[in-house]
Amino acid sequence: MKIIKFTFALLLCATISSCSSDDDTENLTGKLGNIIIKFDNGVDDQDFIFGTSYNTSSGESYKLETLKYLISNIRIKDNNGDTFMYPSEKNVFIIDEADGNNAGEIWVTLNDIAAANYTEITFGIGIDQDRYALGADGQGDFLAKAEEEGMMWSWATGFRFTRLDGTYSSDTVTDEALNIHMGSVGTAVDNYREVTLSLPNMAIVREDKTPELHVKADIAKLFDGTTSVSFDEGYSQVHVDETTTGVIANNAMDMFMVHHVHND
Amino acid sequence: MKKIFLLASALMFWLGCAKSEIQENYVPIPLEVEQPSNFPDIVYNLDNNLVTEAGFELGKRLFYDGKLSANGAIPCAFCHEQAFAFTHHGHTVSHGVNGGIGTRNAQPLQNLAYQSEFMWDGAASHLDFQPIIPLTSELEMGETLTNVIDKLSLDIYYQEQFKKAFEDGEINSENMLKALSQFMLMLVSSNSKYDKYVREEDNVMLTQIELDGFETFQNKCASCHATDLFTDQSYRNNGLSINPKLNDEGRYSIFENPNDKYKFKVPSLRNVEKSFPYMHDGRFATLEAVLNFYDSGLVNNGNVDPTLLRNDNTYGITLNEYEKESIIAFLKTLTDNEFLTDERFSEY
Repeated sequence: MKIIKFTFALLLCATISSCSSDDDTENLTGKLGNIIIKFDNGVDDQDFIFGTSYNTSSGESYKLETLKYLISNIRIKDNNGDTFMYPSEKNVFIIDEADGNNAGEIWVTLNDIAAANYTEITFGIGIDQDRYALGADGQGDFLAKAEEEGMMWSWATGFRFTRLDGTYSSDTVTDEALNIHMGSVGTAVDNYREVTLSLPNMAIVREDKTPELHVKADIAKLFDGTTSVSFDEGYSQVHVDETTTGVIANNAMDMFMVHHVHND
Repeated sequence: MKKIFLLASALMFWLGCAKSEIQENYVPIPLEVEQPSNFPDIVYNLDNNLVTEAGFELGKRLFYDGKLSANGAIPCAFCHEQAFAFTHHGHTVSHGVNGGIGTRNAQPLQNLAYQSEFMWDGAASHLDFQPIIPLTSELEMGETLTNVIDKLSLDIYYQEQFKKAFEDGEINSENMLKALSQFMLMLVSSNSKYDKYVREEDNVMLTQIELDGFETFQNKCASCHATDLFTDQSYRNNGLSINPKLNDEGRYSIFENPNDKYKFKVPSLRNVEKSFPYMHDGRFATLEAVLNFYDSGLVNNGNVDPTLLRNDNTYGITLNEYEKESIIAFLKTLTDNEFLTDERFSEY
């Protein structure tokens, strides 16, 4: 009899322990975690390196000394279709290649993300008109930072969304100046664009699990995206012109992909 | 109930005793380090470190054991995955303990018995010493030999396996490094399609495009990627632009000889299809990018290998599109699936 009781107790133990380790009942309400986004600039199938010459499809080549762009309004969607928007006042970032680590990655850490399994990320390239209209309000030290990093014109003109400085060569010129300083032009031209990228595998955010999203940005797409452009033909100096800035803004949308998600 | 308990304890006691009474003695069952007929001779001195079954098993366990790293989570195998010819799949450079990020691309581990110097800059002049470099690097495994030995000494598996593997049975750094060498010496990749073709085995033939690529390779690449190891084991500056972030001066950092600036060891091309990305900093993700670089991407950084100087005074190796395509077809014949999936080398 004792043995039967003992066996029963043992079985009960096994049942309880198997239930308690079941993930289906995991309650994530109110739980928070972090996400790291690693921006990794490249050119086609090469890593991006300052001062290295890269070719465009039009037979021109370019070398860069500066490579920066603005990312804002990051939001992520989970496998239930719910979207988590990162708080607006913190949701703008300068991605500067010069800040990269040895692997050339620029890390953006988002804190206090709702614990969930995320499948999609959306972000803006540049600054949208609503944020621009806020002026200094609610922007914290971002204005000072953008100014310091050379990502602003005068206030009436606004922010620079992408900033590339270097030189280019073509059949006709060698090492001519190349400066792509494009953004919206005040309220006259809106070059803010958004991209939505699906994640190749889910990003699992938990209190103790910080997934890393490896975002590859193919700089070549700026010149060879939806529209291929030639430096010789008006694209070596891109600043406030409505047409050329718009072409670069649209091309920038083709730059990004989430290569993989690394879960803990 | 009490009786059952007593019986069980007695049984456990007896089992425990029986186990400890079996003497774990040194029983050297030699393993042969292969000498493929198309390879250069073995240079590792096997007389000083006889490869045995137990030593190989020990080396393999160490290779896959996180205890060799400061945080317990970065074994050698972390950056050296078998399916990718023991490289770090897709990583330009690798990350180690505490988020440290290294400065060079993890090299494949294969055919080490036939080479005399290791690492991109040749910093290790004996295979036994090579593991000390990643093990003690702050950016990689962040450990000390002494500390690792202390950790191994507490582990019952190692207490027994060192006795089986070495006559003196000591758990010390000498034996640990020798065991790692025994594992690495056995990592021989010599059964690719190319090998079978040159050794005339199994009636293996190359296709026309592979043969064309082989011919171009012999004319334009084989002076550096020489012998059937596909490296002449020299150090050369191949005219890569300098990455200002890393400013890696290559072999110069070993002897500070100005002639060594930006020189790196000519890498073997075996399993090159699987060991992407390429170059010492992993800057090229594909073989196409590598060949485009040799055709038109070299820069004169002051010390480029003279064999790369063209008649028009520019540096590079002129390759047309078909030559590139066929060289890549040929390079893929160097993929050795027997090696990449060999269960002797797998963790599980």
